[in-house]
Amino acid sequence: MVADPLSQLVMLGSSGMLLTALIVLWRKGIPAYVTAYRWQSWLLAAITATVGYYGHDPQLYWVAAVLLALKGIAIPALLRTMQRRFGAEREATPYVNTETSLAIAGVLVLFAYVIARPWMTITNLPTRQGLPLALALLFVSLLIVVSRKKAMTQVIGFLMLENAIALLAAVGTYGVPLLVEFGVFLDALMGFLVMQIFVYHIHETFDTIDVEALTRLRH
Amino acid sequence: MNPSLSLLLLPPLIAGIVALVVRPYRRFVAWVSVVCAAVSFAASVALAVAVVQAGTPDDPVAVSTLWRVDALSALLAVCIAFVALLASALGPGLGGADEEDPARMRQFRIFTNAFASTMLVAVTIQNVALMWVAIEATTITSAMVIPLTRTKASVEASWKYLLICSVGIALAFAGTVLAYFDFVATAGEVPGALNWTVLRETARVLHPQLLQTAFAFVLIGYGTKAGLAPMHTWLPDAHSEAPSPVSAMMSGVLLAVAMYAIARWKAVVDAAVDPWFTNSLLLGFGLLSVTIGAFSLVIQRHYKRMLAYSSVEHMGLVAVGLALGPLGTFAALLHVVNHAVAKSMSFLLAGRILHRYDTTEIGGVTGLLRVMPWTGSLFAVGILALVGLPPFGLFVSEFLLIRAAIVTSRFWVAGVVLVLLLTVFVSLIAHLNRMLYGEMPSGVAIGETRSWPLVALALSVGVLIVLGVTLPQPISTLIAQSVRGVIR
Repeated sequence: MVADPLSQLVMLGSSGMLLTALIVLWRKGIPAYVTAYRWQSWLLAAITATVGYYGHDPQLYWVAAVLLALKGIAIPALLRTMQRRFGAEREATPYVNTETSLAIAGVLVLFAYVIARPWMTITNLPTRQGLPLALALLFVSLLIVVSRKKAMTQVIGFLMLENAIALLAAVGTYGVPLLVEFGVFLDALMGFLVMQIFVYHIHETFDTIDVEALTRLRH
Repeated sequence: MNPSLSLLLLPPLIAGIVALVVRPYRRFVAWVSVVCAAVSFAASVALAVAVVQAGTPDDPVAVSTLWRVDALSALLAVCIAFVALLASALGPGLGGADEEDPARMRQFRIFTNAFASTMLVAVTIQNVALMWVAIEATTITSAMVIPLTRTKASVEASWKYLLICSVGIALAFAGTVLAYFDFVATAGEVPGALNWTVLRETARVLHPQLLQTAFAFVLIGYGTKAGLAPMHTWLPDAHSEAPSPVSAMMSGVLLAVAMYAIARWKAVVDAAVDPWFTNSLLLGFGLLSVTIGAFSLVIQRHYKRMLAYSSVEHMGLVAVGLALGPLGTFAALLHVVNHAVAKSMSFLLAGRILHRYDTTEIGGVTGLLRVMPWTGSLFAVGILALVGLPPFGLFVSEFLLIRAAIVTSRFWVAGVVLVLLLTVFVSLIAHLNRMLYGEMPSGVAIGETRSWPLVALALSVGVLIVLGVTLPQPISTLIAQSVRGVIR
C-alpha cells in the first residue's frame, strides 16, 4: 500500500480524536474532560484543514478556522468557567464503571469497523480510513452520555458526538456545503449555550449537577 | 421568494424580535404575536389553496433555490400555523385576571414565536440538511420555555428533553451525512445535492446498503423527536411540565414535524431499496409506541401526562400508517391533522383545569362538570375525540388506518391495533369519568372565568366534527396530493 500523506495524517488525527474520547471514560475529574475536549477539537480543525489542503478545497480552511475559534477556544473557555464552579464534583461512581466502560468502548470500535466495511468499498477517497474511526467516536460519545451521571460530563459527551459527525462529514464528503456547515455551527453554539444555562439551573434547584438527583418524574 | 411563503415565515419571526426588543414587557407585544400568527395562518391557507389549485403533486407552488412548498409542506404548515395561532391567542400576557410575572411573559413570547418559525422553516425548506438544522433549532427554542416556572420537576423535564433530543437528533444528522457521502461518492459534488427532490431522483443509483444504514440513523434520530418508543422517555415529562400553550404546540405539531422528516426520508430510501425495509422498521417502532402508549395510559395518575402518553400512542399510529402503502399514508396524514387539532385543544383545556384546581393529579380533580361546566364539557369532547369515537375526525383516520392494514393483508396489524385502541378507550374513559363527576373539592372556586378562550376552543371542536362527518373535498385533495408526493 502506497503511503499517502493525506491518508496517514487523517488516520493519525482521527485516532487521536478517538483517544481523547476514551480519556473521558477513563479519568474521573471534570478538568481532564475539558482538556480532552479541547484537544479533540484542535485535532478536528487540523484534520479539516489537512483535507482542505490536499483536496484543494479552500472552503474547508474557513470551516477549520471557525471550528478552531468555536470548538477549540470559545466552548472550552466556557467549559472552564463552568468547571471552576462545579469541577469539584467528580465522576466518582458512574452508572457503568471504568473497566466495563472501556471494554464496551472496545466492542463499539469493532462494531463501527463492521458497519463501515461496506462503505470502504464504494469510495476510493484517500481519507476513507477515517470513516470507521469517526463512527467509533460517535458510538463512544453516546456511551459517555448514557453512562455518566454529572450533567457537565453529559454535555461534553454531546459536544464530542457533534465532533464525531463533523469528522464524518470531513473525511467522507470533504465537508458538507458551506451553508449547511454554518447552520450546524449556529445550532451547536446555541445548543451548547442553552445546555450551559440548564446546568446552572440544575445546580441552583438541586444543589448538585448529579443527574441522579433528577428523579421526580416517573411514569 | 413567493409572497405567501414570506407571509408565512416572516410574521412569527417579526413577533419574536418585537418581544425581544421591547423591554420591559408590554401587553401590546402579545397582541402583535397574535396578529402575526393570524397572518401566518392565513398565508398557510393561501399556500394550501394554491397547491390544490395547481393540482399536480410534482409541481410545487413556491420553489426557489432554498424553498419548496408541495402538498405535504402546505398540509403541515397549515397545522403548525393553526396551533401556533391558538397557543398565541390563549397564551399568557393578553390581559385578564391571571397575569403572571412580566419577565416570564416576555420569555414566553420570544421563544414560542421562535419555536413556531423554526417549525415552519423545517417544513418548507428543500435542503434536507437545513431541514435538520431547523428541527434541531426547535429543540433549543422549545426547551427554553419549558421551565418558565422554575420548579424541580420542570428543570428535570427540560434537561431530559434537551439532552435526549439533542443526542437523538445528532444521529439524524449522521444519517443525513451518510446519505450525502453516498451521493458524493457516486455522483460527485453537485450543487443542490442535498435537496430532497435531487436526492430522491438520484437515489436509485445510490448504494442500497448504505442508504439502509442512513435510514436507520435518520429514523432513530427523528424518531426520538417524534416520541416513538423506545426513545420516547423524555416526552411525558416535557409535555406535562411545559406551560400548556407550549405543550399544545409540542404535542400537536412538533411531533408531526419529526414524522414529516421521516416521511421525506422514507420517500428517498424507498426509491433505492424495496419499501419492505422502511415499512417493517416503521411498523416495528409504530406498534411498540402504540403498545407502550396504551399500557402507560392504563396506570396514569396525572392528566397532563395522560395526554402526553396519548401522543406517544398517536404518533405510533402515524408511523404504522406510513408503513401501510398509499391508503395507510393517507390515513396517517389525516391523523396528523386530526391529532393536531384535538391534542392542542385538550392541552389548552388541561391548562385551565390546572390553573383552577392547582393539581396535576387525576384524583385531585373531581366534580369538573360542576366546577367548570364549559371547560369540563369541552375537555370531555377532546378526550372522546382522542379515543377515536365518531363523529370526530380521529375516528375516520383510525378507521382508514385499519382498513389500510386489511387491504395490504396485514391482518395481524389490524388486530393488534384494534385491541390496543380498545385498551386506550377503556382507560381514558375511566380517567375522564373520575375527573368529570364526584364531589367537588373544598376551596375550589366555581364558575368559568375568561370565557372567550372557550369560544376559540369550541371552534376546534367544530373542525373535528367537520373532519369526522364530511372530510371536505379540498382537504382530502390536499392529503391525496401529499400521498402522491411521497409514494410513487
